[in-house]
Amino acid sequence: MKGVRAGSRSPIFCGARRMEQSNRFWRTVLLAAPVAVFTVFVIWPLLSSFHYSFTNWNGFNREFDYVGFSNYAKIVTDKLFLNAAINTVIWMVAAILLPTLLGLGLALLIDSRVPGGTMFKSIFYLPICLSAVVVGQIWVWIYQPDWGLLNTVIGLVSGEEFRYPWLAKPDTALGSVIIAWAWQQTGLSMVIYLAGLTSIPEDLIEVCEIEGATAWQRIRMLIIPLLTPATVVVIALSVINSLKGFDILYIMTGGGPFHSSDTLAMHMYNESFKKYLMGYGSAISVVLFLIALTIIRIYFRQLRRVDEIYG
Amino acid sequence: MADLRLENVSKRFGDVQVINGVDFAAKHGEFVVFVGPSGCGKSTLLRLITGLEETGGGRIFIGGADVTGMKPSKRGVAMVFQSYALFPHMTVEDNIGFGLRLAKLPKEEIGRRVAEAARILQIEDLLERKPRQLSGGQRQRVAIGRSIIRDPKVFLFDEPLSNLDAALRVQMRLEIARLHKRLGATMIYVTHDQTEAMTLADRIVVINRGRIEQVGSPIDLYDHPANRFVSGFIGSPAMNFIDVNEHGPENCTSLGAGSASIELDGCQVAGATAIGIRPEHLELAGPEEGDFPATVEIIEKLGAESLVYLQFDGSDLPLTMRTSPEHPLCAGETVHVRFNKDRIHFFDRDGKILNRP
Repeated sequence: MKGVRAGSRSPIFCGARRMEQSNRFWRTVLLAAPVAVFTVFVIWPLLSSFHYSFTNWNGFNREFDYVGFSNYAKIVTDKLFLNAAINTVIWMVAAILLPTLLGLGLALLIDSRVPGGTMFKSIFYLPICLSAVVVGQIWVWIYQPDWGLLNTVIGLVSGEEFRYPWLAKPDTALGSVIIAWAWQQTGLSMVIYLAGLTSIPEDLIEVCEIEGATAWQRIRMLIIPLLTPATVVVIALSVINSLKGFDILYIMTGGGPFHSSDTLAMHMYNESFKKYLMGYGSAISVVLFLIALTIIRIYFRQLRRVDEIYG
Repeated sequence: MADLRLENVSKRFGDVQVINGVDFAAKHGEFVVFVGPSGCGKSTLLRLITGLEETGGGRIFIGGADVTGMKPSKRGVAMVFQSYALFPHMTVEDNIGFGLRLAKLPKEEIGRRVAEAARILQIEDLLERKPRQLSGGQRQRVAIGRSIIRDPKVFLFDEPLSNLDAALRVQMRLEIARLHKRLGATMIYVTHDQTEAMTLADRIVVINRGRIEQVGSPIDLYDHPANRFVSGFIGSPAMNFIDVNEHGPENCTSLGAGSASIELDGCQVAGATAIGIRPEHLELAGPEEGDFPATVEIIEKLGAESLVYLQFDGSDLPLTMRTSPEHPLCAGETVHVRFNKDRIHFFDRDGKILNRP
């Protein structure tokens, strides 16, 4: 009779161990690829920015000097930085509020089974599929003073020829870009809110019906609070996207006129690549990174709170 | 007076007729249970009464007033859902007082009535909590609290205990019975659990395929079912059915098939194609007194009683017999079984009950 030697492993055990080793190998390989990409394209530039923020590097020469915290000291006294920071706050608040409110409104409208809802959903979602460059160019045409759509429509409605250079006036440049941005981002908020609306249990809506809630009471007391998880996602995406918002500004105004639409991202670009002050630009980018980090921390804290309530 | 009356109520979803001309009336203060298998239309009927579904035909009266076309909030009904339907972002206090806040009642009045409802349901300590922090039973109490605070004419319960575990279900069943006794309100309760139906109801409405099969008190339905469906649905374990052998001898009911048939002498009803007998109306007997021999297949010992599943050659389905746990039975053993012939129900080809001569 054949026996199993003392100390030897059964074939089943050996097979399981081989499979576990193979799994571990593939796990490592598959994880290594994204980690490598993340390191090269995110971590390394981040550390480089941090490093260059303490230098006077111009972006071309190999030689540069370490200047300590002088780039950061310059930020404090730089009026253009202050102007860009104020514009960034305006940009962020508007870029958060407009897509959030418009997206919610459109989602509620489509969810109320308005005729053609599916078609409207596709139409409103379409801009998010376009690149910011394309969106920027479309809105440059819309705002074109002589033959742009907006001025033409205003002219037709008022009955008088209307020519207003929306993007060339400091009073309206930033607002005009914000509207273009909101037009693009609203579709994304709408889709997230629609998904949120479908997750609201039907019987909660029915309770409102039985208890006699009006449509507005239902939206205010039930739907908006229950959409909090969706709102957290929408706001987080809006914040992150607005902090990254550079390309549409670059296409539509380039930060002008007279820095009226300069945001921190735009200011950083101008300092780094137009004035060749890469060290100072890096310091601005580090500040921008710290702002983003703070916002993301607040976001995660809120996310945890929302999770505690809504599970 | 908050009586409820349904006149020829019907409902269709697409091609499917879900409710089929239902006529029914519940008296003021009555506890009526709609019972039936899944998909029979009992929940739809409840939703028609609430107004959450529009009727396809017929009329609904609550307290004598025709509420057929009215909005749910105007009908004077309150509903307790199977899922509790509590608002997760509101505290227990806000959940209970939701309807009163919508009606813009003064804060003091809302507070007083919420406190009263909480006292009745013994959830005074939970008022500041969110639904997520409550157990299933506590959530159901809050849902009931939200319904009683509005002082409705008719309470509607849609399988309110289905999500609870067995022990909690028994406890909540008792509490709902107490609540009914205390409030004396008209209550319509939907369930597929016939134990709930039997224990809670003043009257049970058995529904099948959108039609009412029978209305009656629990004992009436148990002892005098109108047809084979009601006989099989009411009672746990279910009634045993055995086909009648049409070629059996005269003046006797022959059950089963061929040589294995059971002859019930002096017990015959013309036109019967099947008989039904409840598990407690089968009993063990000696070889001489027994009506037929059977093999014990499985014994379920429930403590106070045992359920014995018997196989006999004349039937494909096992017969269930309720016995005392003292009987020393073993699986595989052959026993002799006697029918309590006075308690046999006879059914015709359409499943209708036949009166004994």
